Amino acid sequence: MRRRVVLTGAGVLSPLADSAASLHAALLAGESGLKAIELFPTDGIAARQAGEIRPFDPKAYLGDRNLRPIDRTSRLLLVAAGQALAGSGWSPEDLAGRDVGLVAGTNFCSVRTIAEFDRRGQQLGPSYASPIDFANSVINAAAGQAAIWYGLRGVNSTVSAGEASGLMAIAQGTDLVAGGRADALLAGGVEELCYESLLGFERAGRLASSNGHAATPIPFDARRNGFTLAEGAALVVLESAEAAAARGARVLAEVLGHGEAFDPSRGSGTTAAAVARAVRSALGDADLPPEAIDAVSASANGSVYADREEALGLFLALGAHAAEVPVTAVKSMLGEALGASGGFQAISMLETLATGRLPGIRGFAGGDEGFPLGGARAEARALPVRRALLVAVSGDGQVGALVLGAPRDAKGEE
Amino acid sequence: MMSDTEGIRTKIKQIIANVAGLDAGKIADASSFRDDLKLDSLSLLEIGVDVDMAFQLQLPDETYKEIATLPDMVQLVERRLSEVRQPQAVAG
Amino acid sequence: MKRRIAVTGLGLVTPVGAGREEVWQALLSGRSGFAPVESFDTSAYNVHLGAEVRDFDPAPYIREQDPAQLGRASRFAVAAARMALEDAGIGPSGVAPERAGVAMGTTSGEPREVERLDDQILGGQLAGIGGEFIGRYPCHLIAAHVAREVGFSGVNTMLPAACAAGNYAIAFAVDTLRAGRADLMLAGGADAFSRITYSGFYRLGAIAPERCQPFDRNRKGMIPGEGAAILVLEPFDRALARGARIYAELSGYGLSCDAHHMTAAHPEGDGAARAMTRALADAGLRPDEVSYISAHGTGTPTNDRLETIAVKRVFGAEAKGIPMSSVKSMIGHTMGAASAIEAAVCALAVATDRVPPTMNLEEPDDDLDYVPNVARELRVLTAMNNAYAFGGNNASVILRKWEG
Repeated sequence: MRRRVVLTGAGVLSPLADSAASLHAALLAGESGLKAIELFPTDGIAARQAGEIRPFDPKAYLGDRNLRPIDRTSRLLLVAAGQALAGSGWSPEDLAGRDVGLVAGTNFCSVRTIAEFDRRGQQLGPSYASPIDFANSVINAAAGQAAIWYGLRGVNSTVSAGEASGLMAIAQGTDLVAGGRADALLAGGVEELCYESLLGFERAGRLASSNGHAATPIPFDARRNGFTLAEGAALVVLESAEAAAARGARVLAEVLGHGEAFDPSRGSGTTAAAVARAVRSALGDADLPPEAIDAVSASANGSVYADREEALGLFLALGAHAAEVPVTAVKSMLGEALGASGGFQAISMLETLATGRLPGIRGFAGGDEGFPLGGARAEARALPVRRALLVAVSGDGQVGALVLGAPRDAKGEE
Repeated sequence: MMSDTEGIRTKIKQIIANVAGLDAGKIADASSFRDDLKLDSLSLLEIGVDVDMAFQLQLPDETYKEIATLPDMVQLVERRLSEVRQPQAVAG
Repeated sequence: MKRRIAVTGLGLVTPVGAGREEVWQALLSGRSGFAPVESFDTSAYNVHLGAEVRDFDPAPYIREQDPAQLGRASRFAVAAARMALEDAGIGPSGVAPERAGVAMGTTSGEPREVERLDDQILGGQLAGIGGEFIGRYPCHLIAAHVAREVGFSGVNTMLPAACAAGNYAIAFAVDTLRAGRADLMLAGGADAFSRITYSGFYRLGAIAPERCQPFDRNRKGMIPGEGAAILVLEPFDRALARGARIYAELSGYGLSCDAHHMTAAHPEGDGAARAMTRALADAGLRPDEVSYISAHGTGTPTNDRLETIAVKRVFGAEAKGIPMSSVKSMIGHTMGAASAIEAAVCALAVATDRVPPTMNLEEPDDDLDYVPNVARELRVLTAMNNAYAFGGNNASVILRKWEG
């Protein structure tokens, strides 16, 4: 018998804001977190902007403990984790008495750390490579650092599925709680902005600036030509509904279902089919018809191919409802933060569930010919949202879909 | 010139402070790495690398495994510097 | 009532051979996979041995993709996937593609791609860098390449839990199948030998200069290796319905996190013990029902000591009677592939009533039965596969004999 899984906290560090409420306000106002890159020199890189988190003073969030062994990726995750734990309502004593877990999505963890480790070894010889950097070069390093920092002795897992990492981490975390492997855990993800990543994605032709046109990512828009890379960390607290009720926790939402799929072909229409399968699977898992979905948080980030496939996939799965369901794409303002994106989407949607306000798609002026999502628009809007669909599409074919529901009231009704 | 004992000790304290997030001014001259400074294995390895680079000692990695205290480290550096007759440590 | 899961196919690429039968015979015979490192120059190091995959060309197994477009770990993984499906007797129409998924583990993904990028950066060749870094490096490509090869369109994900990753992938696959989200899962792990990984363990002082001697009093460390292994997992009812050969039941798993230190395990084997206990609970078994343990057994002074402590904590007086061996004594530490290879070893152990030895064991450091130097025949009802990783990620997986 699967247990119900609810969300009882959230922690976020993003290019726009460092709390769920301030992030929501900024998204509603249509602010952009994309800015000129100051974090590192951009030799050989044409892209001029990214979703950089600036200023970032880790000690302001994390206090005076030694941060030297902890790289930027881990620092970002630590901040989000601390915020999520603090927001969950647990006291330090509560936490000490339970094994809270962590499921962290990430595309690279720190590709910068592994690259710097290697370059220093190549330049100075292996005897002068940094042991601390090596410890941070493994892809589960950030999850390990967060567990050590906060004493998280529950299930600790890292998930990598490209842009779908974070949403799939939340799905995995849900199943671990539902299946009794954990009573509570943090789930979401992290990604650091760094030279290696930015250079790589630009050379792969994925970035909005890469073909000389406007460098702003405009999800779903007919003029889009790529995404803007970003960084951040976002974690939600997943807990069994009984455990949350027993401690009188404030419930922010419930995970009603999730579904995953993969496109092995990556041809025109095949990713759409995978999106459709994942969405249908999520709806089936939630036992909901398409019409029950009040809002969609799309993965769309300005990619020419993926945005189109996602729109088509949503149409295939939602049918007639696709033309009217309100659709947002927060990457229009936050950029593509890879491992952090799923968590950004989830936390933004928690705010929408609570406030009845859905962010718009910044800069959106109209989709491709035949664009099926009539509910996509640039402006934020007010509307009651009880059930939301979140989608994450990886550039390499992984798709995750998650259905969140508003918290049930005391009678168990929604 | 940083070849005198005090200079060497100060530099090593800076390295330890940097790796371990400690206040260099609060590291006692006679500190033991594990007991007094609570340095873990990874930090000790890092300190060994950083000391070797800072003073250009080019000692085998295993050498640093034996070093358990700040006085031992200072002594190691002094001895090595006089061996190779390198009058200057790398600053910074 | 948990849906029961069967292991119906095995695919292996290792330093002692490729393919289930070749690898199994090699391990039973104590073959060493160690040799001087060939893939890069080790003259700047004071250790020189590695367990590289030699004399194996994955290209013939890669038929739907251009092998030259895949990183090394992905090539091993795809080859292992083909082998596993063939071993399981599953052809192109053997399973609905959308009901078949892939979960893989890794430590570093494709580190040689980072090395290539770094060489270009250090060599001032920025202009020559194209899309190949993003096209080859991200670790989720390992699972993607496997699924692209065999056409699976179900869930596709990486569990990069470092040296325990294979077990984490198997755990995820078990949950996915138990929940009815898939009818078949390929689960395993892959990693490629690289100067990055070698340098890292070298810097930690962890690499043995001459021999890998898990559980020996004079052990001096681990030896890095590479490879891939994939298990075909499917629900019992499906496996039986299609007349599959069943190696073993994948009867449970347990995970834990030390939350102690990035590269050193908890000093009392705390997390390791919890993972074992949870696995036993998940499988509905008592400690005294375990017949064999495939140890993490890297050969480092610390791991082997703490692992022995943890086993004694869990099994108590029974511990001495449970043979526990480490194939890392032969294939080295294959990183993300390790626990997948070792899970396959456990499947073969319960299927054939044989267990591989711990080689190079001259003076056991403790009083457990480490199966020194010679493979052994014994009735293996239940095998436990243990793995411990950087970041304190611990995972134990249990396989049980199926007798029809």
